[in-house]
Amino acid sequence: MSLTQVSSNKCAGGFQKVFEHESTELKCKMKFAVYLPPKAETDKCPVLYWLSGLTCTEQNFITKAGSQVPAAEHGLIIVAPDTSPRGCNIEGEDESWDFGTGAGFYVDATEDPWKINYRMYSYITEELPRLINANFPTDPNRMSVSGHSMGGHGALICALKNPGKYKAVSAFAPICNPLQCPWGQKAFSGYLGSDRDTWEAYDATVLASSYSGPPLDVLIDQGRDDQFLSASQLLPDNLITVCSEKKIPVVFRLQPGYDHSYFFIYSFMSDHIKHHAKFLNA
Amino acid sequence: MDLFEIRGGTLDVIAEEAEHQDLSRNSTIMADREARATRGVSTYQRFSVDTNESLHFEPCEDSLPSPTPPEYELDDDNVFKEGETESEIVTVRNQLQGKVAEMENFAGHLEEIFLTVEENFGRQEQHLEQHYNDVLLTLSQRYDERAAGLEEEKKGKLEALYKQLLGCGRAMDASKELIETAQKVYRSQDKRLFLKAVMPTIKRIEDFAKEEVVLTLSTSLEFNTPLSDMSDVKTMMDSINVVPAPSAPVINPQMPNSASQTSLRVCWSLFSDDTVEYYELYYRPVLEDTPADSTCAPPVSKVKVKETHCTVADLLPNAQYELWVTATNTTGISPASEKALYMTVPSPPVIKQRECTSCPEAALIRWESGNTNPVDSYTVDLSEMGTDGTENAITESIVAVPTCQCLIQLQTGRRYLISVRAVNIGGPSDRSEVITVSTTGTLFYLLEETAHSCLSISEDGFTILYGDEELPISAMALDDNNTFSRCVAVLGDLIPVRGRHYWEVEVDDGTEFRIGVASEETERNSYLGANNNSWCMRHILTPSRHKFEFLHNGWSPDLRITVNPVRIGVALDYERGTLSFFNVELEQHLHTFQCIFQSYVQPCFGLDNPGALTVHNGIEAPEYAFI
Repeated sequence: MSLTQVSSNKCAGGFQKVFEHESTELKCKMKFAVYLPPKAETDKCPVLYWLSGLTCTEQNFITKAGSQVPAAEHGLIIVAPDTSPRGCNIEGEDESWDFGTGAGFYVDATEDPWKINYRMYSYITEELPRLINANFPTDPNRMSVSGHSMGGHGALICALKNPGKYKAVSAFAPICNPLQCPWGQKAFSGYLGSDRDTWEAYDATVLASSYSGPPLDVLIDQGRDDQFLSASQLLPDNLITVCSEKKIPVVFRLQPGYDHSYFFIYSFMSDHIKHHAKFLNA
Repeated sequence: MDLFEIRGGTLDVIAEEAEHQDLSRNSTIMADREARATRGVSTYQRFSVDTNESLHFEPCEDSLPSPTPPEYELDDDNVFKEGETESEIVTVRNQLQGKVAEMENFAGHLEEIFLTVEENFGRQEQHLEQHYNDVLLTLSQRYDERAAGLEEEKKGKLEALYKQLLGCGRAMDASKELIETAQKVYRSQDKRLFLKAVMPTIKRIEDFAKEEVVLTLSTSLEFNTPLSDMSDVKTMMDSINVVPAPSAPVINPQMPNSASQTSLRVCWSLFSDDTVEYYELYYRPVLEDTPADSTCAPPVSKVKVKETHCTVADLLPNAQYELWVTATNTTGISPASEKALYMTVPSPPVIKQRECTSCPEAALIRWESGNTNPVDSYTVDLSEMGTDGTENAITESIVAVPTCQCLIQLQTGRRYLISVRAVNIGGPSDRSEVITVSTTGTLFYLLEETAHSCLSISEDGFTILYGDEELPISAMALDDNNTFSRCVAVLGDLIPVRGRHYWEVEVDDGTEFRIGVASEETERNSYLGANNNSWCMRHILTPSRHKFEFLHNGWSPDLRITVNPVRIGVALDYERGTLSFFNVELEQHLHTFQCIFQSYVQPCFGLDNPGALTVHNGIEAPEYAFI
C-alpha cells in the first residue's frame, strides 16, 4: 500500500495534501485529500473522515468547504476521499450524474457489473482508515465521520452500522431515507438489486430504528431553501421521527435562505468541526 | 519603715509557726495567711535564723527545686531524728518559697508606698512654703500700705497744725500790734490826737476782744486707725492648713480601639500636684437632635472612681457620649474638665445571605448595617478554609468599604469564610456571622422582587412554581414596576463579573419553560425572548410533538431536537459573547446565541403554563460547556 503524493499546499498553518494509491477494495487508483494540522508535526491527532456528495471528487471539499482553519484550531486531521471508483471503464458508469461515477453511495454493490469495483462502504470503513493510520500521525482510536448529501447519508450509515467506531457524526443536507427517495431507489436498485430488504442495511432511517450501541450525538444542518429538500430527496423528517422515538440524540437545524451548495457547507463548517472536536479531543 | 526589719520580722513568724508554736503569738495578717497555708502539714523541722547550719536533704528520686534562700537554715539533726517523709519536706519548702515571693511582693509594695508618701510630703512642704511666702508677702504689702497711709495722715495733720500755728502767730502779731498802737495812743501827749485815735482804737480793741479765739486744734491729735481688712490673709492662713481643692483634670481624647459596643474606656490626668481623694466622671449621650433648651436633655450619669481611668458600661452601640470629670478632695471639688466626646463601637453588621452571589473568580457580599445611625466604614475579613475543613487565620481584610456591599476577588476552587465589621471613630465592631463562599461554579439566588405574582418560590429559593389556582384580583392589581406582569417569570441575581458562568435548570418533560438571560432593565411587561435584551430557550408542547425555540428579539432558528432535555445546562461567556444551552444528561450541545452583552445580564426563568422548574448552581462548568 504505497502512497504517492499528488500535491501539497501549506494552509492555515498546516498542510493540505492529496495522495494517490492503488485501492484493494476498489481495484483502481484512488485519490484522497488529507489535511494535516500544525499539531500533527508533534502529536498524534484524531481523524475526521469527510464524505462528499454526488459528482464530487477529493477537490471540492478542500477548496470550497473552509475546513482548514477550524481543523487547525482544533488539531484534527481531515481525510476527504473520492466519491466513487474512477477509470474502471464500467459500461454505463458515466451515463448519469447521480449513479455510477461520482455516485458510489457508500455501499458495497452486490449487482453486476458494479460489484467488483463499487465497494465504497468497505473502502471508507476498512481500507482507508488502515491506510491513513499506517501513513500519518493519527490516533487510531479517535475517528469521526461527516459528509454532505450523499456523503451525509454515508456518514450516518457508517456511524449507525459501526456502533462505537466513530466518536462523532454530523451531516450537511444528508439523504436520510434513501429507500423513500428517487436518488436512493435508483442507486440501490442498481447496486444492490431489487430486493428492498437488502437496501435497509444502507438506510439511515431504518438503521436508526434498530440502533443499539454507545450513545450518539448527531448534528445535522439543512438549508431551508435547498431544492432537493423540496424535491423530497432528503426526507430529514423521517429520520427525526425515528430518532425521537428511539431517543437517539439529534440536533437538526433548518437554516433559512441556504441551499444545497458548498456555500451552505462553508457557512456551518466550523460548527461541525467544533462538534467533532468536542468528542475527538475529549 | 524598715523593710529589712519586716523581712526579719516575718521570718521570725515562719520560724515560730513551723515549730507548731502558738499561732496567736503574732497577729499580723501575714501570719494568718501562712497559718491557713500550712495548717495540716506537720513538720518537726526547726527554722532558726541565727544558726549557720545549712539545709541538708537526703537524695531523692524527683528533681527538687533549688534550695531555700540562705536566710533559712535547718537544724539537720531534727530532720533525721524524726524521720519525716520526703514529700512533706518538699511541700513545706515549696510553701516557704511561696511565702518568700509574697513577702518580696509585699516589700515591693511597701517601698512604693514609702516613695509615694515621701513624694507627697515633699509636695506638701513645697506647697506650705509657697503659701507662707504668699501670706508674708500680703502682710508686708499691707504694712506698706498702712505705713504709707499713716504717713499721709501725719503729714496732713502737721500741715493743718502748722497752718493753725501760723494763724495764731498772725493773730498774736495783730493783737500785739494793736496793743502797741493802743499803748502808743495812750502814751501820746497830744490829747487831740488821742481823742481822734482812741475811739477807733478802742473800737478795734473791742472788736478784737469780741473775736472768738479759736483755741481748739484744727485737727485731732488722734490718728485714724481703721480696722484693716485682714480677712484674706486670714483665709490664706486658714488654707495653709487645708489642702487646696484640686484644679480641673484634663480628660484625654478617645484612644483608638479602647471602646466596645457597650462600653468606653475613659482616661484623664491631673497636671498639678494636687492631692485627690476621688474623681467623678459624668457622662451623657449626645442626641442627634438636641433641642435648644436643656429641659429635654438626656440625664447625666455619674461614676465615682479612685483611678485616673474608668470603663463606663451599659452604653448604646454606635452612640456618641459627652464626658467630663471632676477631682475631689477634703477641701472641695475641682472645676469640671473640658467635655470630651467619645463614641462606642458599632453593633456588628448582618450579612444578607440571599443577596450574596459568587462565581469562580469573585464574590459579592451584601449586608445590613446593623446600626440605626450611620457608621464610618466597613471592614470585610476573609479567611480561606483548608482542605481538611479547618479555618485558617484571617488572610485578608478589606478596609474602608463605604457601602453595605463589597465585590471581592478570589481564587478559583476554594472555600472562604467571610465576615464584616462596622467601623466608627471608636473602633471596629465585633465580626458579623460568617458566610461561607465557595468559588466552585457560579452561585446566585432569585430576585424575588421581580417574580410575577403567579410565581411562588420555594423556601430554599431555587424552585419556582406556577400554580394552578386563580390569582386573587388584589395581587394582580399591584402595580409594581419591577415584577413581570405578563410573562410568568423571575430574574436571578448574577454576580456582575464579566467572566464565564454556568448553571443548570431541571424541568419536567411536560414543562413549558423559557430559560436564558435578560438584562436587568428588560421590559417587565414583555415576554422573555420577545425583545432585544433577552435570550432564551423555549419549550412548547403541541398536541403532536415537543417544539424547541431559541428566542431573541422574537425570532428563533428552526430546530428539531429528538431527545427532550430535562436538565439543561446554560453557559454564559461574556468575553466571547456567547450563551449556550446543553442537554446535561447527554452532554449534548443544543444551541449557542452569539451576542454582544453590552451590559450585565441576569439569568431568567419563565413558565408558560402551570408547572415548576428548579435552578441548580454552584456547579463547576463541564469541559464541553466552554469549548
